[in-house]
Amino acid sequence: MSRLHRFFRTPEAIAGALILALLVAMALAAPLLFPGDPQAIAGPALLPPFQDWSLPLGTDRLGRDVLAELFHGARTSLAVGLAAAAAALLIGAAVGTLAGFASGLLDEVLMRVTDAFQTVPSFLLALAFVSIVGPSLGVVVAAIALSAWTGPARVARAEVLSIRERDYVAGARIIGMHPLEIAFREVLPNALPPVLALSSVIVAAAILTEAALSFLGLGDPNRVTWGGMIAEGRTVLRTAPFLSIVPGVALVLTVLGVYLAGEGVVESTAVRRSLS
Amino acid sequence: MSELTISRRGLLAGSALLLASTALPTIGFAQTPKKGGRLIVAADSEPRNLNPAIVASNGVFFISSKIVETLAEASSDGKDGLEPRLALSWEGAADGLSVTFKLREGVKWHDGKPFTSADVAFSALQIWKPLQNLGRTVFKDLAAVDTPDELTAIFKFAKPTPFQLIRNALPALSSVVPKHVYAVGKIEDNPANNAPVGTGPFKFAEYKAGQYYRLTKNDAYWGKDEPYLDEIVYQVLPDRTSAAAALEAEEIQLAAFSAVPLADLDRISKVPGLKVITKGYEGLTYQLVVEINHRRKELADLKVRQAIAHAIDKDFVVKTVFLGYAATATGPVPKNDPQFYTADVPTYAFDVAKANALLDEAGYKRADDGKRFALKLLPAPYFNETKQFGDYLRQALAAIGIDAEIVNNDSAAHIKAVYTDHAFDLAVGPPVFRGDPAISTTILVQSGIPDGVPFSNQGGYKNAELDALIAKASETLDTSARTELYKEFQKKVAADLPLINVAEWSFISVARDTVGNIANNPRWAVSNWADTYLES
Repeated sequence: MSRLHRFFRTPEAIAGALILALLVAMALAAPLLFPGDPQAIAGPALLPPFQDWSLPLGTDRLGRDVLAELFHGARTSLAVGLAAAAAALLIGAAVGTLAGFASGLLDEVLMRVTDAFQTVPSFLLALAFVSIVGPSLGVVVAAIALSAWTGPARVARAEVLSIRERDYVAGARIIGMHPLEIAFREVLPNALPPVLALSSVIVAAAILTEAALSFLGLGDPNRVTWGGMIAEGRTVLRTAPFLSIVPGVALVLTVLGVYLAGEGVVESTAVRRSLS
Repeated sequence: MSELTISRRGLLAGSALLLASTALPTIGFAQTPKKGGRLIVAADSEPRNLNPAIVASNGVFFISSKIVETLAEASSDGKDGLEPRLALSWEGAADGLSVTFKLREGVKWHDGKPFTSADVAFSALQIWKPLQNLGRTVFKDLAAVDTPDELTAIFKFAKPTPFQLIRNALPALSSVVPKHVYAVGKIEDNPANNAPVGTGPFKFAEYKAGQYYRLTKNDAYWGKDEPYLDEIVYQVLPDRTSAAAALEAEEIQLAAFSAVPLADLDRISKVPGLKVITKGYEGLTYQLVVEINHRRKELADLKVRQAIAHAIDKDFVVKTVFLGYAATATGPVPKNDPQFYTADVPTYAFDVAKANALLDEAGYKRADDGKRFALKLLPAPYFNETKQFGDYLRQALAAIGIDAEIVNNDSAAHIKAVYTDHAFDLAVGPPVFRGDPAISTTILVQSGIPDGVPFSNQGGYKNAELDALIAKASETLDTSARTELYKEFQKKVAADLPLINVAEWSFISVARDTVGNIANNPRWAVSNWADTYLES
């Protein structure tokens, strides 16, 4: 049975994959379906959804098209989520591998630094970072990565600790490979699968953190974000609840989709492991 | 806290009364004020320094104007727009070098000591002139205060000072604090700054951080039968959306200063038992202004500034951002000002084509991507409306090919970025018009102001002609000549656009029907509330 087959065996995985596919399609289609600035004023302010079919989801307080904002917001959410997760995994895997493979003083130092990062609540860390450096998309990605790399680092270190005792690592040493080469070319690739399994959690958390930062006014104000849309809608929650509900539902579905798909991946690899 | 929570029985009784009142619709309008009761008011900020003589700002006045009184208060029908408080009359000398105040007799401080002219002299010389944010400018030439007797204070000025300016400054700048409390120690560190002592209708009782301020009735108040209320409680509700819910749940009876968001007003006005009041803020006009950094070579060009002015649809801003609760602006003096406003100034109609033509003329042609140049836009974070206008302005500028990048900051960082570091190209600011252009308006365009003074000209604008006009007006004693000079000032500002005035707005109160005598003067929310009463 191929891996894909195994993945699609559970209904959760199918649902997750479908949601993700939809999200990616939305993000890719956004500039084609809604060319130009999604924040441009498109109609009367606070138009409720399903009134005017050129503006199917209505407009916000300034008369911007909610549907266009939703599509462009998907781009931001997905880009931030993926970039932040990739950065977090990269930093985490590198730190974890170095710590695990080097052991001794370097291990101690790196792991205490990891501890230090873990003791600060991750959202607080991101919040502090963005408010000091100033909100822009790159800073937000860095802030989320900064607060999310510790998990992958710990997992990578634990894996590396068990792998480095294996025979092929000893063999590599004997043939005179440089320790860094062994660490990153021989050990890391084999330590990666459990680290990658964390990625769905990190992506989901990154999307939520980005939304929370935007909600607090610390997102990039020149881009549409779902968190920013919810924050905008909050002031008119009683009169125009759809302004918060629409992006809120999109956010919930996205995180759910990422999470379900991640579960599916974990499950399919787990099945493979138990089979082998 | 327990004494503030609402008992179930009380709530039932209250709603029964409400039902009864709807059943008997004609109770009549001309009601005599009732005595007693506790008024619970929403407070959205918690000022630490409550001394209005030092911090003359609306957030402080909202609470402390009930405790500490001024020499005179604004009035819609009084002479020169004033009515007496601690002073009964005021007279300016013809040479502009002195102003004589006759003080009210028999007034006592909350600690029982008598109020005298020495208190006025002390407040003016030791606090208003050296320490107060606004008094520093208005009272800069105050040299001495003579006190020939206990009820006369004569302000002596080193240079001729227009009496009109002193008069217009009285409601906001003349809070009198007791000399015997402040005489010892450093004024800024005096404990009375956090628990003020005054002559007002209410005494400061207690403050619980994050919860409430409580004021109690001053039984020895000089006003006959006043105050009517026994207590005022300021319930701290920092979240704007919660004020509306608290009003509906009858947890509070009044939310002033637009604590209820504009977008909710339409809905809340239909809730039985609540009323939306737009009056009572005529003397507290905020101006929506685009501040311009003239150090940018593009913005130093008048044609570019004119183009930006033509690109802003002021009617749209009033209708959409302020939901109609504002007026379009023509210049640096708001339309509702009875003394100085003139409509006879250059105006800039909304005209995108003209704006584009002006930019082409100025030599900033569109590049291949349709953009002429890029700008940094810093909307002030204090109000929802200033932030929303920032979003609108970005779109309006995009329509004329100017690519504006919004930079959001918190309050402290915004003030530093704009007024100290000048790290902006355009900023959206909400300056306040305080009844006289010399108090806080001319400094928005005057040159030579040191870096770091908030709400002043920090855009590097320099116009010798305008500076001379401002200087001349500040020493012109004749009221009508002075008024004419400020009309000329408005014309010059509107013509040269050191900044762009977009709209003027004030606040909205929402109150329960049971609160009486609301909004009966132009600064009601920051007046003393001696005649406010509760019906039930």
